[in-house]
Amino acid sequence: MAGAGQTDTQLVEGNTTETDAVAAVAIGLSAVLFALAVAAMFERVSLTGTLAGVQTVTLLGGLLTALGVAVIAFGAGSRLGYVETDPDPSAGLIAGFGAAVPWVVVGGGVASQTLGLGTAGGAVGALVVGGVAFALTVLPREDLGSTLPLGSLLTLTGLVFLTGVIGPDWVWDLGWAQTASITAEFFIPVATLFSALYGGWASAKSYGGFGARGRHMGAYVLVYLNALSIVAFLFILVAYVVVQGVPGLLTGFELGLGTGPQTTILGVSVTLPVSVPFVMNGVALLNDFQGVLPAIVGTVWLVIGAVVLAVPLGVGAAVFLTEYADRGRFTQVVEVATNGLWSTPSIVFGLFGFAFLIPRFGNGKSLLSGMITLGFMLLPLVVITSREAMLSVPDEYRDASAALGVSKWQTIRSVVLPAALPGVVTGVILGVGRIAGETAPILLTMAGGTFIPGSQTVDVIGSFQFTAAPPFVANPALLEATSALPYQLFALITAGVGLGSSVSDPNAFRWATALVLLVVVLSFYAIGIATRYYFRRRLTHT
Amino acid sequence: MSENTTKQTQTESAATDSDQPLTTTAGETAERTQSEWTEYDFRGEAKMTVDDLDVYYGDDHALKGVSMEIPEQSVTALIGPSGCGKSTYLRCLNRMNDRVSSARIDGSVELGGQEIYQDGVNLVELRKRVGMVFQSPNPFPKSIRENIAYGPKKHGDLDTGLLARLLNRSDADERDELVERCLRDAALWDEVSDRLDDNALGLSGGQQQRLCIARCLSVDPEVILMDEPASALDPIATAKIEDLIDDLAEEYTVVIVTHNMQQAARISDQTAVFLTGGELVEYGDTDQVFENPHSERVEDYITGKFG
Repeated sequence: MAGAGQTDTQLVEGNTTETDAVAAVAIGLSAVLFALAVAAMFERVSLTGTLAGVQTVTLLGGLLTALGVAVIAFGAGSRLGYVETDPDPSAGLIAGFGAAVPWVVVGGGVASQTLGLGTAGGAVGALVVGGVAFALTVLPREDLGSTLPLGSLLTLTGLVFLTGVIGPDWVWDLGWAQTASITAEFFIPVATLFSALYGGWASAKSYGGFGARGRHMGAYVLVYLNALSIVAFLFILVAYVVVQGVPGLLTGFELGLGTGPQTTILGVSVTLPVSVPFVMNGVALLNDFQGVLPAIVGTVWLVIGAVVLAVPLGVGAAVFLTEYADRGRFTQVVEVATNGLWSTPSIVFGLFGFAFLIPRFGNGKSLLSGMITLGFMLLPLVVITSREAMLSVPDEYRDASAALGVSKWQTIRSVVLPAALPGVVTGVILGVGRIAGETAPILLTMAGGTFIPGSQTVDVIGSFQFTAAPPFVANPALLEATSALPYQLFALITAGVGLGSSVSDPNAFRWATALVLLVVVLSFYAIGIATRYYFRRRLTHT
Repeated sequence: MSENTTKQTQTESAATDSDQPLTTTAGETAERTQSEWTEYDFRGEAKMTVDDLDVYYGDDHALKGVSMEIPEQSVTALIGPSGCGKSTYLRCLNRMNDRVSSARIDGSVELGGQEIYQDGVNLVELRKRVGMVFQSPNPFPKSIRENIAYGPKKHGDLDTGLLARLLNRSDADERDELVERCLRDAALWDEVSDRLDDNALGLSGGQQQRLCIARCLSVDPEVILMDEPASALDPIATAKIEDLIDDLAEEYTVVIVTHNMQQAARISDQTAVFLTGGELVEYGDTDQVFENPHSERVEDYITGKFG
């Protein structure tokens, strides 16, 4: 490749060369390290154990060292003309600061802790080492500047892990209080994660041959790793709850005819073919397995009640604000007020419900008070998103309708609202996600108890009663205290004493409750997304 | 032509004459509109009569004392440079300017002898009789069938709702007849007859615009206002729209705003020229306006010296 170094203006580049392959392997190596670091952070990979027959820490160290050496070799090869690249005169200030930050940390840490120079010594060390890294990045040509400091960082980290200076048992006692210390379990994954990011950046730049194309590749790899890590974190969070919760959820699970409890569906008594005691039972003295059915039903009714209350009100307010009210001081005030309401802490809503609603609905905590409180919480978001959705409906539709002689209200009903519906539904989905997990308002307005007997499962539909006196319809279930999943989870975590006597495995019970809460909220999401998809399809396909 | 209007034009011309010396000193470009230039004698009835129409947007005087009569079953083209008020004028003819809150309108517009700027005018009825087609195609995000049935449905002329279907009183057949008639009149039927239930947004730009014309026909208008209906379309789609306008003029009164002078010359029977400042400078037979305009400014505009 040395001979081809002169033709850096050629339009079509040659086929993949060995050097390109080295850089590509380096990028792949960074991705693997990144994944390993994330996995180790969530304890999916044990640091004390082995991976592929090698000690995990040793493996991480080896890979980091290899990556670092590869990056330096590529940069040096390019500088000496062995590799065909197109570098700029300097790697630039941003790359300089980027490289300086980890070296500041390394310099500070080594000077103050390893060499024992104290805080002042640490600061000096940090400045000196960071400054050298900055200078080494900015001053030489780009191919050397963007590989040498980062490559040495990777090699250093790798060697520290490889030689066991920082091993799985390493602890850095910060000395602030008994609990403040940095353990290897935290430090090794984090150091690997950042090293992998830097390694990926440097090797992507190398792969692109430095210059504008190299920077493009570098940014591309960073953005990609970022997006991947967000997805990975979400996935890991859900997976973690599922793994922890499934054993508790499936205790006593049975599948087969006649195993489930008897229920009445549309007046016919049916025996369900599955039995999942955890979601089908309440708590009772003689139960083999205890469950959280009352809390599930409570959460579902709570969300339904809040949505029924907030959506018509919110959409109506949005229609008024966008279609009828003149844009001016009044709409601005309403806008500020709704935004303010949306950021009001939930405990404040809870207190309002406690002080204002409870005395008016039977003087006790009740499902109805909870519904109304959560409805108020949901209202501002529905107003805000519905307004946005209606404002984004093109005026051409309104003009076309008006030019046909159709009245304003009919235009709103038949053209504006259908076109705005997907946006409105999006708002409701977001809001439901928030209120279904709210604990504080429920605590103050409808809390039932830590363990709720199955007999207390609310039956809103079944308890409508006709009465002789006004208001002629009554529903005692709405006025009873009941529980909801987030509150029950909170109560289970804080209960402590007495927990063991009611359920055999309190920890499994908690995690299973958390899993059920997650599933309930995700089901609401799924319903909302399906609705939005349906309405959006109707707008574009029919 | 009523006596009333004649008298008014006489007084106007007197006023213009007395102003004449002042404007000559101000230079050629300040040439005044003479009322005989905008006095257009046509055979037949006037469908709409506009008298001394002024429009203000806030402090901006967008249209200055425009008077003209629009003959029925013909194509009237409104041309002029951007910002000359021709679209504003068009939107006054079915009171679409009422929807702009800052707009203030003075003067008189009559439709078939009835004043439309007076208290108690039924806007629904007015806009049913004076339909409008907009610059960019704006079909509703609904099926082709629903787009056309929309107007009559909302006016209660067609009922295909759930209740009507349950009571066996659905007007589905009438609706389908109407859809076919409007689409045939808009020269779109052959292209879409097999996909009436597809979303209208899936049509091409030219087809969408013809669908908008069909939608406008669905409420059985007498006058059709078109605001640069072909400006967003390619030449082939434009040619189709122009042919369509030609056909529509046999039954309807068409008023069309256009930027394109060749288009105006091709399709219109009479042409009104608005020039910057919101004045109607010349109005007459299309051939006369294009070949032998009275006003120098109009001649300059038409020959491309400005605007």
